[in-house]
Amino acid sequence: MKLTLELRENAGLQWVLEQLSPMSPFGKTAARDLPWYGPGEETALEAELDNVALAMELWAAGAAKAQPAEACGCGPSGLGPDDLKDAAAALRGVTKQLPLFHDIRGSFDRDPGVPFDLVELFEIKHFLVTLERLVQAYAAMPSMQGVAFPSLAEALELMDPEGRRLPTFSIVNSYHNDLAPLRAEKGKLEKAIRMTQEDKRGPLMEKRRQLAVQEDQLELEVRRMLTEKLMVYRDRFLDSMDTLGRLDLTVAKAKLALRYGCVRPALSADKTIALRGVIHPQVAEDLKNRGESFTPLDLDLGRGCTVITGANMGGKTVSLRSTVLSLLLCQCGFFVFAQSARLPLFERVELILADSGPGAGGLSSFGKEVHLLDKLLRETRGQFFFVALDEFARGTNPQEGAALARALVRHLGSLDCVALMTTHYDGVSDVAGAHYQVAGLVREIEGDEGDDPRKRIARRMDYRLLPAPPGAPCPRDALRVCRLLKLDDALMELFQADL
Amino acid sequence: MEQLLAPLVGDASPVTVIGLCKNAGKTTALRRLMSELGDECLGLTSVGRDGESTDLVTGTEKPDLYIKKGDLFATARGMLTLCDATLEVAGLTDVMTPLGPVAVLRALSDGYVQLAGPSAAGQLPPLTETFLSLGAQRVLIDGAAGRKSLAGAGVEGVALLCTGASLDRDMDMVVAETAHTCWLFARKRPENPALCAALDGAEGRFALFTPEGEPLELPLDESGGPKWAKLPRRPLVLWAAGGITDPLLKTLARRGAPTVLAAADATHVLAGRAALDLFLRNGGELTVRRELTIAAVAANPWSAYGWHFEAEKFVNALRQALDLPVVNVKEAQA
Repeated sequence: MKLTLELRENAGLQWVLEQLSPMSPFGKTAARDLPWYGPGEETALEAELDNVALAMELWAAGAAKAQPAEACGCGPSGLGPDDLKDAAAALRGVTKQLPLFHDIRGSFDRDPGVPFDLVELFEIKHFLVTLERLVQAYAAMPSMQGVAFPSLAEALELMDPEGRRLPTFSIVNSYHNDLAPLRAEKGKLEKAIRMTQEDKRGPLMEKRRQLAVQEDQLELEVRRMLTEKLMVYRDRFLDSMDTLGRLDLTVAKAKLALRYGCVRPALSADKTIALRGVIHPQVAEDLKNRGESFTPLDLDLGRGCTVITGANMGGKTVSLRSTVLSLLLCQCGFFVFAQSARLPLFERVELILADSGPGAGGLSSFGKEVHLLDKLLRETRGQFFFVALDEFARGTNPQEGAALARALVRHLGSLDCVALMTTHYDGVSDVAGAHYQVAGLVREIEGDEGDDPRKRIARRMDYRLLPAPPGAPCPRDALRVCRLLKLDDALMELFQADL
Repeated sequence: MEQLLAPLVGDASPVTVIGLCKNAGKTTALRRLMSELGDECLGLTSVGRDGESTDLVTGTEKPDLYIKKGDLFATARGMLTLCDATLEVAGLTDVMTPLGPVAVLRALSDGYVQLAGPSAAGQLPPLTETFLSLGAQRVLIDGAAGRKSLAGAGVEGVALLCTGASLDRDMDMVVAETAHTCWLFARKRPENPALCAALDGAEGRFALFTPEGEPLELPLDESGGPKWAKLPRRPLVLWAAGGITDPLLKTLARRGAPTVLAAADATHVLAGRAALDLFLRNGGELTVRRELTIAAVAANPWSAYGWHFEAEKFVNALRQALDLPVVNVKEAQA
């Protein structure tokens, strides 16, 4: 499945990716091109989640405030306290090397007949020396599944024949038999030139020029030879960079999960979703900056369509985005922002927002959501998919809109999918598989009239999602919300009189 | 070899060789300085070199530098084919040029090299650090040529100013221009410490202060430029982050009250002598946030355009007009 920018942004995945901090150019590529673990790839996903769990354990153990009590041999690594300490140090050794890499993929995209220049050879040696250090550190920690580095020892031997691992590169004499004598002769001449008066250097300089040309030709021969030999290992080089990217991304996922207290998702076999204490980290951070806090949500979704109703500003859309974000993260091999999560793997996850901004290509908001839904239904024929719909069909007249929403809920119930829809229409939850309602404006508070209306609503709102019986009427909270938002008095009077 | 330039630059590092115009003898001065510093391990880089081996403006050949074994230099990857010393790549900077990234190289033999270092002022200090960490004892910078291209080109340490007949056919004119540049480089920071602190903290394109360093509101027009006609009629200090141009100086000269104009450094003053004279005659003063030092002036009586000055007359005229040591690098060499 393709993670479009629109989906990434609407779900908040883009925000999560911006919090990731891969350290190498390869990790940055890996984070841009996330893998998608679909149905049938459970083993691979579990392996990646194992890797993240291992990296989390080691990273936490290596942190300054590590608590030795945690090392009980019961973590994912199964290591005792001492071994865990060593393994944690080894992971730090690995991550210390990651920022040192330069992206040299471009250098290998060449015809083997075109020799590397001196700077490219320097970069390749630098890559090999850094990789050797990383691989040594990696060998001292429990290995991650699918993270193995092909041997490039011969290539390193070639680039550092003296084995000194210096951070420099030059074409040393040992590369070609003729280099040492030629350079010795040239050096002698250069010494002679230094001893000669400037105006009498002409003939010596001409001789030196000839030797320099010869040296250049020998160096070119050596560069051709090195290029030819190095290009034999091209696939191993590219494979190593790919592996470095995956390793880097896994560590970045682990650090993110530790920072936000994320949980490993469990894969459910029965095509149902169970989320406990799920949050949307982007919204949560936004709230935190305003001095408010996010109310974690609990949700159980079975096959067919579940409907959420509730007051305006009650967090219905946020619950959709939190659910979609959890699914996307899980299927990209991330831990999720929840206390616990049990999720199946879908072939496709989609979020259809009523007002997902401009660029609808001449379609109204109603036209756009109908178009997106139609596209999804066509493309997912025969597939197991998830779709979240925000107030579907709200942009048309209420009678037809409610009928369309009801029809869609019925239709989704007959498909191999899990769906979640928010609505203000009565009668939609009657035909849904399940129904949640936002607890709503339940708290009676007096005396905060001077405060920011958003804060006043938040104070009165219980954002929890509570299971509601099918057909329970949608709450009538628009009047109260308007009052809290301080809508014009004259208008409010007319509004109230008309209800 | 007679020590001509080395005593004038002393222990200063970096030394930036700048030219008043193309073919002012910058390379000759740099070569001379390099050979006088023959015992030192040097780190060499250039500013604002485009990598062409032929100077596009005058068609003259851009000369190579012959460096000695052990010296370090910075050049773009694409320039390596123009270097004939045996080379060791010692590092790679994150500076990109049209000719590839800038690498730091060590000469394992004597030989010709082409320099092509970073041009942005902020990129020079890290490169200088790299040179020193790799063992360079002194950094020499082949700086920009032409007063306008000096602006913000990172004149570090002390400068060696090269001037010559290529600037103009008229020797008096060349002497006056050289004196003007030297006068600009001699500008000091303000004496009032509070004003110095205020200038150091100035961030915008323009800012207004009292002579005591108190910030004043600068009235702006719709385009964000200052409303010059609305400046209070009393002594003011105006900070200008960008280039100081003729129109700016003329506007301030007509303001009707003395103005101290504060530039980032002398290289930011792009205005001509006439506008500057007008500004100064109307009670204006020029001050800088960062002082620069010219260690010496190298005079080249030969031009690339067919005319030349009498060497002795030229050097003497410069010595008359300047408070700085003046040397003729070419003559001394012969």
